[in-house]
Amino acid sequence: MVNRGRDAEYTEYVAARLSSLRRLAAVLCDDWQRADDLVQATLIKLYVRWGRVRAASHPDAYARTVLVHEFIQERRSLWVKRVSLTGGLADSPAAAVDQDAVLDLRAAVAALPARQRATLVLRFYCDLNVDQSAEILGCSPGTVKSQTARALEAVRRALGSAPAGGSGGRPAAAVEHQIYPGGPGHD
Amino acid sequence: MIESQVRELFTEIADAEPADSRVDLQFARHRGRARLRWRRACVAGTSVLAAAAVAALALTTGLVRPGAGPPAAGPAAPRQFNPLVPNVSFGWLPAGESLGQGGVRRTDVYLAAGPRGLPDWGLSVYARGRCHLTGSPRGVKCSTEGQSGVSAMRFSESAPAVGGHRAFWTDNSLVWQYARDGWAALGWPGYPAGVRPPRHETVMRHRQAIKIAEHVRFGATTPPIVFPARLTGLTSQWRISDVHYWADSGVLGADSYVLTTRASRFFPHVGDLGVWANAPYIDIHPAPRKATCTPHDPASQNTSENINGYRVVLKRLHIGGLPVQELCGAHADGLSFDIQVFGVHPTIDVTRLFRDHMRLLGTNPANWTRNPLG
Repeated sequence: MVNRGRDAEYTEYVAARLSSLRRLAAVLCDDWQRADDLVQATLIKLYVRWGRVRAASHPDAYARTVLVHEFIQERRSLWVKRVSLTGGLADSPAAAVDQDAVLDLRAAVAALPARQRATLVLRFYCDLNVDQSAEILGCSPGTVKSQTARALEAVRRALGSAPAGGSGGRPAAAVEHQIYPGGPGHD
Repeated sequence: MIESQVRELFTEIADAEPADSRVDLQFARHRGRARLRWRRACVAGTSVLAAAAVAALALTTGLVRPGAGPPAAGPAAPRQFNPLVPNVSFGWLPAGESLGQGGVRRTDVYLAAGPRGLPDWGLSVYARGRCHLTGSPRGVKCSTEGQSGVSAMRFSESAPAVGGHRAFWTDNSLVWQYARDGWAALGWPGYPAGVRPPRHETVMRHRQAIKIAEHVRFGATTPPIVFPARLTGLTSQWRISDVHYWADSGVLGADSYVLTTRASRFFPHVGDLGVWANAPYIDIHPAPRKATCTPHDPASQNTSENINGYRVVLKRLHIGGLPVQELCGAHADGLSFDIQVFGVHPTIDVTRLFRDHMRLLGTNPANWTRNPLG
């Protein structure tokens, strides 16, 4: 294969960060199969934009930005059409805690619009501050604050209104259909 | 605290990382390279930057006299394009800009132009029936051969008629009906989400876009596409498709194309764009000075061989769940080539294709051929 320099640099960089990108994607999607699709799409974009990645003062932040944008965009368009045939929260780790509570929380977070979920992930998984999150999301710090507040309030409300005994492993596909009733292109 | 619960949840999800990953670096590189060639940044940017559309809409309103023309009557758009000729060309470009690269599939034609060949404008012209207007949101969706998914362009407002036919703006492209049942889109690089383009720039872009679109020539005489290799002795069932070329000093030199037969099959769900199986992907161009074939990759079986006097590397690997054969030569009479075939039982393997059928024509485009299947 030609383009040895570009390929070698790219491969070295991506191989070293693959695990962290997959984990971030999984937290965004709550689905490891989709996470892999998301990372795959992100890696293609990183290859195409490799010159910019190399030139970026923080290549990891650049890669993270591409991944998050890919997640938000895909949620708007293609992924909403897919229905997980496996259903259920199959990727749930073996729980040692109150499984129903975890499922309720997971369902509540899954029900958030993509941008709100991404905001929570950047703030509470990546531990980024408001300004850093705003930079990645391409919005103002004030928007990050309001999105965070709305997301947390929505989760709080969902947990408060959950029926006793929790959702009991409501299929992921069903959750998704509730989130995106508008189908492709729905913002 | 709900925050701490959310933190725990996210950590829990991340810690459940399975060892097996479907992420495929080889595939990412392969499709990345393909995308570099078939770059559609301008048009694709319209959907990516949907968030900026509102700002752009506010800016553009009133800047250009709205006045969508009527639906195109008269001759219909071509049912398909001939991948061996450019089909479409720019009749006018802003001063200092020129055609940089292009691509032709049966379903669509792509041209990119800009200063010193850098992409500044991207033109996509779709064959008859490949695009469909959508009502809500108001826009057009276009599908192409050999690429899964659709390109969706959302209209922001009516644009002045182009060639007497209806036209629309998106946030960073002009979409118009160039013939009955045929659509074209001229795009330019968008701004990041949330960033407003300067007003004067929007005005200038719109004026230039209308003028470029008015002067797009369909079926006019252009320099031919020339190929640096000739494939001989293949049965008549083989066809060339998905041609990409560079424009350099007036020469349109092909550097990437696909050979297909009726037995070729498209797998839309491999990767993000899909791939053809049983269809050799051929990349060939003058070799960069430091060109090499990728050294040994633990994920593939590599063998070095000497075929027809050229040192080549044969690789067998899996990409996106499909077996792939790849034959690479870094310096073959000054050319670099790479042939890949996806599929379990390809009609022709890469070694046989290169050894028995491919004749390299050197680095001088004057010796290249218009008919790569001659």
